[in-house]
Formats: sequence, structure tokens, C-alpha cells
Amino acid sequence: MTMRGTIDLLLGLLPIVLVLLLWQALISFGYAPPSLLPPPGQVFARMGELLLDSSFQQDIAATLFRLFAGFAIAVVLGVAIGIAAAVSPPVNAAVRPLVRVLAPLPKVALYPAFLLLLGFGHESKITLVTADALFPILLSTYYGASIVEQKLIWSALAAGTPPRDVLWKVVLPAAMPSILTGCRIGLVISCIVVFLAEMITSTDGLGHALVTAARTFQAVDMFVPLITISALGLILNGLLGALRSYLLRGFPEV
Amino acid sequence: MKSVVTRLAPVLACLGLLVAWQLGSLALGNDSFPTAWESLRAIPAILTDKESLLNIADSLRRMAIGLVLAVAVSIPLGLLMGRSRAVAAFFNPLLMVIYPVPKAALMPIIMLWLGVGDLSKTLVIFLGVSLPVIYHSFEGAKAVEEKMLWSGAAMGMSAAERLVRIVLPAALPEILTGCRTGLVLALITMVTSEMIARQSGAGNILFNALDMGQYDTVFAMIIIVGAMGICFDAAFEVARARLVRWSEPQFDIPLSFS
Repeated sequence: MTMRGTIDLLLGLLPIVLVLLLWQALISFGYAPPSLLPPPGQVFARMGELLLDSSFQQDIAATLFRLFAGFAIAVVLGVAIGIAAAVSPPVNAAVRPLVRVLAPLPKVALYPAFLLLLGFGHESKITLVTADALFPILLSTYYGASIVEQKLIWSALAAGTPPRDVLWKVVLPAAMPSILTGCRIGLVISCIVVFLAEMITSTDGLGHALVTAARTFQAVDMFVPLITISALGLILNGLLGALRSYLLRGFPEV
Repeated sequence: MKSVVTRLAPVLACLGLLVAWQLGSLALGNDSFPTAWESLRAIPAILTDKESLLNIADSLRRMAIGLVLAVAVSIPLGLLMGRSRAVAAFFNPLLMVIYPVPKAALMPIIMLWLGVGDLSKTLVIFLGVSLPVIYHSFEGAKAVEEKMLWSGAAMGMSAAERLVRIVLPAALPEILTGCRTGLVLALITMVTSEMIARQSGAGNILFNALDMGQYDTVFAMIIIVGAMGICFDAAFEVARARLVRWSEPQFDIPLSFS
């Protein structure tokens, strides 16, 4: 690592350390009672304890299952519709106004409708995650696929690629950086939405763990699910970043 | 002729969705899934009821305050981060850690400290809106051409003047993209925070109706909230087009919802 990189890293760690210190100081100097704001040490100790607890592990598993199911459906639908809209004018004419209307719609407001239609189980939450993650992925796929250079397609055709293979061999790889950016945004949104859906109505999952703790005023237990979901978000984001640099290894700048 | 069709396309899309809804609910024949027509008929009742109007006005007030505060803080911060490596290195990791935290999920914790009133809901909206605005201002400021800054410096502008008179206008299109995302996010956070802390507001009406089994009210509220999102977005788009007429509209649908 270069000198510059090290300095940047230290500078970046500084505010995180400051936040933790401020947190501890608020309690140490008696500005906040520990029942409202538990000290950081206690929160992290409790987190270690809960991570070994089987019912908390089941909550994590339930959340992850909904997150991945919803995200996977959103990726498949988003990439398929995005590419279709970019290559076919009739599909574009239909999709564009629909997206224009549906993208700014607050999807959380649809959650009651999903509950009524699909019940209180996995289905309604997965649908909400899909609905929220779909649009960033769809839009960036569409954007990526519609700026593919025409010359690339002509060259492929001239080199003897059958027209139906052009989609797989030229358009999809060329749109890949943009698709992956959309997936990254979609993934973080999925994390956020799955948690919120579980908070609003659920019987398991990390969001439910937070609500249960809030009802019994267990401040420590309220922090643990929040930190867990953020950590999951960071880990998944990192994994997606690794996948991105693997998939895009031939591209000039990533 | 063509431009009329393009202009009307979103309206047609709305109508198409309503028709699809109507047909879907007729086909399902489910008690808890009223038809589009029944839900639309329930809207006037909500909009003429004083109680619910006050609730909705409360929600909108909180949303406006949270949004304005967030924009006022985030744009300067984003611009500074974009122009100074040290500031960017200082804030980036912290923002990265905060990014995947569901902001509305902080509601129960913030409620413990600040009560269930306006303050905690406005704070949550503020937190929800800030990140995309900071991010887009940062990206916008980073992309400003160095030559313009050098010319400014050569003409004797101070650093602060350069930030306001060169970086801000140059980054404006990108900043407005961030504000557009922020606007929709403010609405989402507003509804979610009210669903979690049921005390007043649009989200509260929605879930109370759900609990009491008034399904046409539930769906009518969904239409109202959805229409708010669509109208705010369209209005912002008109304002944006005026403000940055010189910049090419890269995309007429919001690209990032981060």
C-alpha cells in the first residue's frame, strides 16, 4: 500500500473511532442513561453472544432467504426487461411510460396490498424486495444496453456471428459494467427493504428481532439487529464488488 | 402528433395499470382485493375528511422540513468532498458504513430518545435523504474540469468563490439528480416511519385501515401516496429542466435509487 493510501485509510478510520468515542463518552459522563443508550462494549459483547444463539441464527437465515429470493427475481426480471427494452422499439414504447410511472412510486405503500393478496409469510416480503430492487437494475441495464456501440454489433455480424447470438455475445457483455452497478444499488436496497418489511409485520427475521426488543425496551437488543443488517449489507456489497472485478477483468477501467 | 403521444404516454400507462388492476380483482373475486373503481371511489371520502387531511398535511410538513434541511447540509458537504481529497478520505468510510443501515429502522431507537413526535420522524427523513444527495454532489464536484478552476484562480477568485461560482453550477445537473432521488426517498421514509411509529400521518391511516379491514380505504391510500410520488417526481423534473436547460437531459427516468 502506498503512503497516500495509508494516510487516507487512517483519516477514514478517524470519524468511525470518533463516533464510538462520542458514544462511550455520552454514557461515561452521564449524559445518557445506559438503559436508553447502552455502551458500545456491551452492544458488541451482546452481539457476539447472540450470533451463537440458534434462534437469532434462524432470524438471520430467514432474512437472508427473503433477501436473496427477492434480489434474484429482481435481477432476472430487471436484466431481461432492460435488454428487451433497449433492443426492441415496441417493447421500449410499452416499458418506458410504465417505468416512468412505477419507478417514483413509493413501493412500501404497496406493502399492505401485498399482505392482503399474498399473506403474511415469505411471499409478500419477497415481492416487496423484488419491487424495490427491480427498478435500479432495470434502468441501469437499459442504459448500459442502449449505449452499446453499433460498430461492435456490425463487426460481430460481419465476422459471421448469427444475429440471435449477438445479444449474448456482444450486447450483454458490453452492458455488464452498467448492469453490475445497478445490481449493487439493488442489493443495498434489498437489505434495507427486507428489514423494514419484517419490522412492519413479521414473526421472524432480523427486523422482527428489533421490534420485539423495542416492545420490551431492551435497548441493547435493539442495536444488535441493526448492526447485523448493516454488516450483512457491507459483506454482500464486498462480495458483489469481488464478483464485479472478476467478471470485468478484461475491461479497461472498472 | 408524435410529441402528444409521448407526453400522454405516462397517463396512458396509469390508465393501463388501473384497467389491469380492475380486471385482476374481478378475476380473483377476493374480498380483501377491491377493484380499482371501488378504491378510486373511496378517495373523495378520505380527501374531504378533516382528520385525514390534517394527518396528510402533517406528513407533508415533516417531509418538507427533513428534505430541505438534508439538502442544505448535504450539498456543501458533497461539494467539499468532491474537491478535497482529505475531506473525501475523512467522510467516505463513515458514509459507507451508514449506507446499508435501514434509516427508518432507526425509528424505534430514536423514539426512545426523542419521543414519538415530529422531531424523531423529521430526523429519520433527514438521514434518509442525505446520503444520495451527498453522493451525487460528490460525484458532480469530482467531475468538474480542472482547467475551469485554474482559470478561475488565475482571475483571482478565492477558493470559496471558486466553489460557489464554478463548482456549484458545473455540478448542478448531478446534484439535481441526487435531489430527485432524495425527494422520492423522503416520501418513502416518511411513509415507512409512520408505519413503524403509528401516531399520525399518511402511513398511519394506511395501516389503521388495514387493521380494521377497510380494504377500500387501504387501496385508496395506496393510490394517494403513489400519486404523490409520481406528481412530486414529475414536478421536480419540470423544475430541473428549467434550472439546467443548458445541460443535456441524459435520462428522463431516474437512474439511481441508492
